[in-house]
Amino acid sequence: MSTALAVGGKLLGPISPLTKQGTTVVVYLIAIFFTVIKPAITVTSVPAISASAVCMLIACVVTSVIWRDVSRWHLFVIAWAIDVVAFAALQYGTDGVDSVFAACVFAPLIALAFDTFRRYRVLTAICAPLAVVDGILVFVVRASILPPDAERIRDDVSFIILGLLAIILVMYLVRQSRLQLARSEQMLAVSLQHSEDLARSEARSREVERSLRGLWAAITEQSAIGTDVTGLIDAWNPGAFSMFGLMRDEVVAKRHIEDFHLESELLERASELDNPVGDSERSQGFAALVEGARLDSADVREWTYLRGDGTQIPVDLSVTARVDDDGATIGYLFVAVDLRKAKQVSRLKDEFVGLISHELRTPLSSILGYLELLREGGDAPLSEEQLGYLNVAERNANRLLRLVGDLLFTAQVEAGTFQLDERMQPLGAILAGCVESARPVATTAGIEIKLNVEDDCEASVDAVRLGQACDNLISNAIKFTPSGGTVTVGLSGSASGAVITVTDTGMGIAADELDKLFSRFFRATTATRNAVPGVGLGLVITRAIARAHGGDIGVTSVEGVGTTFSMTLPLLESQWVSLPIIGARP
Amino acid sequence: MIAGAPAPRVIVADDDADIRALVAISVTKAGLVLVDKFPDGSSAWEGVQGSAPDLAVLDVSMPGLTGLQICRLIRADARLSGMRIILLSAAVDDASRQAGFVGGAVEYLPKPFSPRDLIERLSVLSDRVGA
Repeated sequence: MSTALAVGGKLLGPISPLTKQGTTVVVYLIAIFFTVIKPAITVTSVPAISASAVCMLIACVVTSVIWRDVSRWHLFVIAWAIDVVAFAALQYGTDGVDSVFAACVFAPLIALAFDTFRRYRVLTAICAPLAVVDGILVFVVRASILPPDAERIRDDVSFIILGLLAIILVMYLVRQSRLQLARSEQMLAVSLQHSEDLARSEARSREVERSLRGLWAAITEQSAIGTDVTGLIDAWNPGAFSMFGLMRDEVVAKRHIEDFHLESELLERASELDNPVGDSERSQGFAALVEGARLDSADVREWTYLRGDGTQIPVDLSVTARVDDDGATIGYLFVAVDLRKAKQVSRLKDEFVGLISHELRTPLSSILGYLELLREGGDAPLSEEQLGYLNVAERNANRLLRLVGDLLFTAQVEAGTFQLDERMQPLGAILAGCVESARPVATTAGIEIKLNVEDDCEASVDAVRLGQACDNLISNAIKFTPSGGTVTVGLSGSASGAVITVTDTGMGIAADELDKLFSRFFRATTATRNAVPGVGLGLVITRAIARAHGGDIGVTSVEGVGTTFSMTLPLLESQWVSLPIIGARP
Repeated sequence: MIAGAPAPRVIVADDDADIRALVAISVTKAGLVLVDKFPDGSSAWEGVQGSAPDLAVLDVSMPGLTGLQICRLIRADARLSGMRIILLSAAVDDASRQAGFVGGAVEYLPKPFSPRDLIERLSVLSDRVGA
């Protein structure tokens, strides 16, 4: 009974094989106990009882092998079968079908029925009808032929067995109820957890929505306009209101984004792209507007917005696609920055630089002019010492003049007023001239300067400006190369045209500074660290000259090893000729 | 300069006194006769009309009339048809230079200029005067 209670106590989880075997063993020991103490129980076969005991022992051994391991269920089924055989042998040894222990054959079923494993329940379901039939035979058919004592003992044993079955049944039902309750509680807890998660998620969504709404309302300096795939406006921020003076209700679901663009600009862009109009796009103009976004790239370019009163607003416009959860485009977002102020500032800045440069040239004219008069002297020639002082003054005045010239040139480039005077010129001769004019400075600095021209070519270039560009590169190379180094000026042909290279064995430029070299007033760390004079305009001018010729300039550098600037000028193949290099020295 | 002929007469106009003096010195060093110097365009134009010099060295950027405007006025005046004009300017771009030549100048000197160079040009021009 205690074992049965113990079994019943383990309400949750599978029951170990040993526990289940314990229940059967208890019933078996009770039967043996009654057989020994009750003379009314007829022992008809001692070998059968002995066999019964051996079977029970084997079942116990098998069970103890698998111990608490519920996964080895097939071994338990074998042990259970041996238990049934043991009780059958006991029944046979105690008067066969009339045995008082006929009901004990149910005992192994008790433990089996109690387990939650589906396979045990199936086994129980199969065996239970057999047990019921056996019970009917014992209680109804055989009762009349048993002696009174034996009948009473049989009743006792049957009462115990059936009692055990009843207790276990109740406990089983309780256990099932508790399991059900536990499952319900667990489900409830899960539901509650989901509910809390959902509430938190909703709160987060509301917070994000609030933030987005706040952000949308806070963007007042940029216009942000949302459209569907056809360009029909569905979102209009305060920045758009500021830019166009139109309220949200006046445009949303009523106007298209092209209505606010300069039509000629859209058509020009469309003709550049020459793409067919997509299914969802209303016009070529709109297709051109969203081309970049449609190709999954961030498209930022200058466009012109058109206000209702005809005012044109130059803008930097970023167009991005709006996509749904599946990644399909459902519309576009147009974020524009008004460039009017920036353009005005840029124009004023260029005008200022131009004015300052102009005004500086006049006093410089006086300084240089009078210095020249002084040098040429009159009746009393200057002493060597005085001439030395004069040289210093002239050198610095010329330096100032170059700076003013550079500033003015940069302003012209920025203003777009810089023009070339292009004529057919042999490039090799231009380079030779630059090398020769730089040679005295290089020699003074202890630097060897070499010209390396394999094939010369004639090209339509502005010799003065190209010479200025090459002078800048050579001058830089000399400034950044220590004494004993070499500067090599080269000209070669490539698929893209003529390539002018200026290579030095100097201090080099840090890799992270290479892309800033062509920015106005940028000075490399090596320049400032080594006090190399300059203001950071030379390379800007050089690149402007290269680009004005349709070419470009690039740079490669290794710190401590040297730097190579490569200026590419586009040429026709027919322009390559073998020309004598004029003015070059080996 | 033609031997025995009187030295060409020159007027100078520039709003910067130092440049004006520098040009005047160059004129003198070139062996020409400095008729007068003017600090602005209006007085320079009056001087030109009054003295009808052989040569005028004019700054482009001046108050009153610009050197270029005087240049056009001279070219429009038949009495001054033989007059040679040198323009001085701080504007060094090709467009300004072309505008100077189209306006009627025979020389266009960007500032800063070399007095030696100016003297040479003045000498060359004075040789042509009356030729």
